[in-house]
Amino acid sequence: MISFSSVWFRWGKWFIILPLVLIAILGVIFFIYVNLAFPETRCEFVTHLESPDAAADCFECHLKCTPKIAQDWYESKHGVILVKCFVCHGQPDGKGSVPYAVDPDVDGTCRKCHDPSINRMEHLYGLELNCNKCHPFHQNSLHHKAYVKPIAKKKIE
Amino acid sequence: MDVTRREFLKCAAASSALMAIGGPLAFAATEQPVDKWVKGVCRFCGTGCGVMVGVKNKQAVTVKGDPNNHNGGFLCLKGALMTPIIYAKERLTQPLIRKNGELVEASWDEALDLTASKFKDAIKKDGPRSVAYYGSGQALTEETYLASKIFKAGLKSNNVEGNPRLCMASAVGGYVTTYGKDEPCGSFSDIDAATCFFLIGTNTSECHPILFKRIAARKQSDPNVKVIVVDPRKTNTARIADIHVGFVPGTDLAIMNAMAYVIIQEELDDYRFHSRYVSFMDNKKNKLTFEDYKKFLEDYTPEKAEKLSGVPAATIRKIAMIFAESSATMSLWCMGLNQRIRGVWANNLVSNLHLLTGQIGKPGATPFSLTGQPNACGGVRDTGGLSHLLPAGRLIKKKKHRNEVEFLWGMEPDSLNPKPGYHTIALFDALGKGKVKALLILCTNPAQSLPNVNKYREAMARKDNFIAVIECFRDAETLKFADVVFPAAFWCEREGVYGCSERRYALIGKAIDPPGQARPSVNILVDLAKRIGVDPKLVPFKDSSDIWEEWRRVAKSTPYNFWGITRDRLRKESGILWPCPTEDHPGTEIRYVRGKDPNIPKDYPKKYDFYGKPDHRAVIWFRPYKGAAEEPDKEYPFVLTTGRVIDHWHTGTMTMKVPELRRSFPKAYVEINDKDAKKMGIQNGDNVLLTTRRDKMVFQARVSDVCRPGLVFVPWFDVNLMINKLTKDAFDPGSKQPEFKICATKVSKV
Ligand code: SF4
Repeated sequence: MISFSSVWFRWGKWFIILPLVLIAILGVIFFIYVNLAFPETRCEFVTHLESPDAAADCFECHLKCTPKIAQDWYESKHGVILVKCFVCHGQPDGKGSVPYAVDPDVDGTCRKCHDPSINRMEHLYGLELNCNKCHPFHQNSLHHKAYVKPIAKKKIE
Repeated sequence: MDVTRREFLKCAAASSALMAIGGPLAFAATEQPVDKWVKGVCRFCGTGCGVMVGVKNKQAVTVKGDPNNHNGGFLCLKGALMTPIIYAKERLTQPLIRKNGELVEASWDEALDLTASKFKDAIKKDGPRSVAYYGSGQALTEETYLASKIFKAGLKSNNVEGNPRLCMASAVGGYVTTYGKDEPCGSFSDIDAATCFFLIGTNTSECHPILFKRIAARKQSDPNVKVIVVDPRKTNTARIADIHVGFVPGTDLAIMNAMAYVIIQEELDDYRFHSRYVSFMDNKKNKLTFEDYKKFLEDYTPEKAEKLSGVPAATIRKIAMIFAESSATMSLWCMGLNQRIRGVWANNLVSNLHLLTGQIGKPGATPFSLTGQPNACGGVRDTGGLSHLLPAGRLIKKKKHRNEVEFLWGMEPDSLNPKPGYHTIALFDALGKGKVKALLILCTNPAQSLPNVNKYREAMARKDNFIAVIECFRDAETLKFADVVFPAAFWCEREGVYGCSERRYALIGKAIDPPGQARPSVNILVDLAKRIGVDPKLVPFKDSSDIWEEWRRVAKSTPYNFWGITRDRLRKESGILWPCPTEDHPGTEIRYVRGKDPNIPKDYPKKYDFYGKPDHRAVIWFRPYKGAAEEPDKEYPFVLTTGRVIDHWHTGTMTMKVPELRRSFPKAYVEINDKDAKKMGIQNGDNVLLTTRRDKMVFQARVSDVCRPGLVFVPWFDVNLMINKLTKDAFDPGSKQPEFKICATKVSKV
């Protein structure tokens, strides 16, 4: 007699392994499909690995893979005066001189230029470790209206 | 208490981040507060932003903008990423001597004695004209003053040159011919008051980012402020422009004359101003009248200028009207006008527009020349670090000036050499011909930065000459030609003064110790001078502050008055603008105006006084249009121009050490207009061969509408793709500054 437990013992692990393998295969197929069908929307991670010596030319690629964020930067004050991505975010592989971070470190990064305002904010509203909370970096309306020039808002192809 | 709470919060944040992502990176976000902040100035461009260096455990760990300096605490991307350069693995820490073709480590005594003996031999055999110094607009004021004194007074050689010849000489020529004295009349603070910006020959956004920020902020604060950008390339600067005027490279002289024509025709000139304060002169220095000027300008109607420049006559009219009608117009220009065979004329023509309309000496109204290097304006031009100058605006060929300096330096009367030395191109030419035998190079990289550089690299490679280099980085191209290399203390590793574009002098404090055996250049120079046999009384300096005291004395009796800028004040304050005659004087923002410029007596009967000129009048020069030295033709149909990108500075010896900056622009490229590219079937990323009459080189193409059709641009930072092998070494007959900005080239796909 074959008990339930022995069936489970012999075949049960496949109930877990097979779906996982399937998901992995589908994932790879999807990845290849996206890469071939939309050559310019490639996975950014791949780009970072492919050409680390150009990894700081973030804008070029992010205009394609995260166009909203790239365009927001382009229109912002930082964009007009060319404070490029890496100044605040560092390098994706962590090999930059600025620590790689989505939310830049207030003391290590933001203070380089905004020390007086940070002190003022701290005095007014208390200690806050993330400027982003009140000043969303890439959707700051102040930034959008930065330099009131039609050309500054021109969409770039 | 606050700090502890901050640290606690940060640790908490870091540990939660660590749990969330994992990996060592999360730790990096927790930087501890620094031990002390040391005040300084940015190492890079002529904007001269104030920088505070954060020191922790005797290491420079971070920087921040100095809120009390003119930059108000802001830094551009280069300034903000400066610290890794200090600790680059390429830093030189020991003297090197070339033995059997290799640079090998040596002791200080060996290196200094060898250099001294080579200089002594050269002077003994071929006279003082066979030794030379080639300095830099990045050296400290004290270093340039000292080197100039050692060579001119100690060795009696006037071969004292420097890279400002490649960068600012035409601006000097322009200011001196128009106003009689060098250096801008206005200051950065004019930006906050100007209502019209006339930017010509400058990519301010990439080359002086923080000034561009200030201009953009001014524009943002008042939508009526107009920005006119005149540049053959549509650079990032043009993004905030109301009008971008693209033109055929080299024809800006015609455009500016046409603007003057329009201003007079529309009766927008300020007759009251120019009839009282301006004289009119042609190229032969004949004094003429306003009527003659009008006649001269008849050759430059906007229609005629349109034919030359490709700028519609209506546009020229429009920009001329905006220029003249605005309540305060500020012109800014840089290498686009200076690096030209008619650089001095181009500088004069900008001043003409201001003198014609009286747009000068009022807040916001000024012709302002931007400097490329952090201390070319100050350290080199003011202290007389060129072959025809003596300190504080004095000239070698004037006996009176020589005698003054001899007295101040405690020398016998008439003991200075009255003959000006070689200018830069002539100097390297002479090196190639074996006329200059021993050369000392400080803080610059001529093997990459000279135009038509192949020719001058050959000159440097000659076996029978001796080249000593004082440098910080072992990968600087010039080291390939050096016989001796002295390791120098870098930026904040020694104390010294920088003077930026606006006559502002500020102190770089010593924050950290130099690595290994590296020494401050001042000490290297003094030691070397003594070993060559220079009278020790001429160089009684222990450090740079001794030299500063002497410099103040030497400048005191001239319009370059530094007497009030004491070392103590420099340590306390964040930059002071000369003239500054007394210790309680706040510095001078506007020159040539009674009540503002301390050089003008308070009871002077007129409002303006151009005291640099014998008749106290500035000059409107009749400068005709003249094309470039090498115009495009059938065989070489494109114009090649060179310049910078924001990420890199000069020859890249510093910015290439910062991973972010290096990866942002790992190599040079050629920028081509999209229409031209289409015609030639060139696409983004294709390899393109540029051929000039001097050399050829392959670059990757960047296709865009930045360059106008017929123009290609290549940045010059890349040591592996040295565009200066292709540029031409023709130079301005007045300023001797070479024409980097224009030469003819062939473009083909490979
Ligand atoms: S603008 Fe120039 S001086 Fe200011 S931080 Fe940038 S590079 Fe330095």
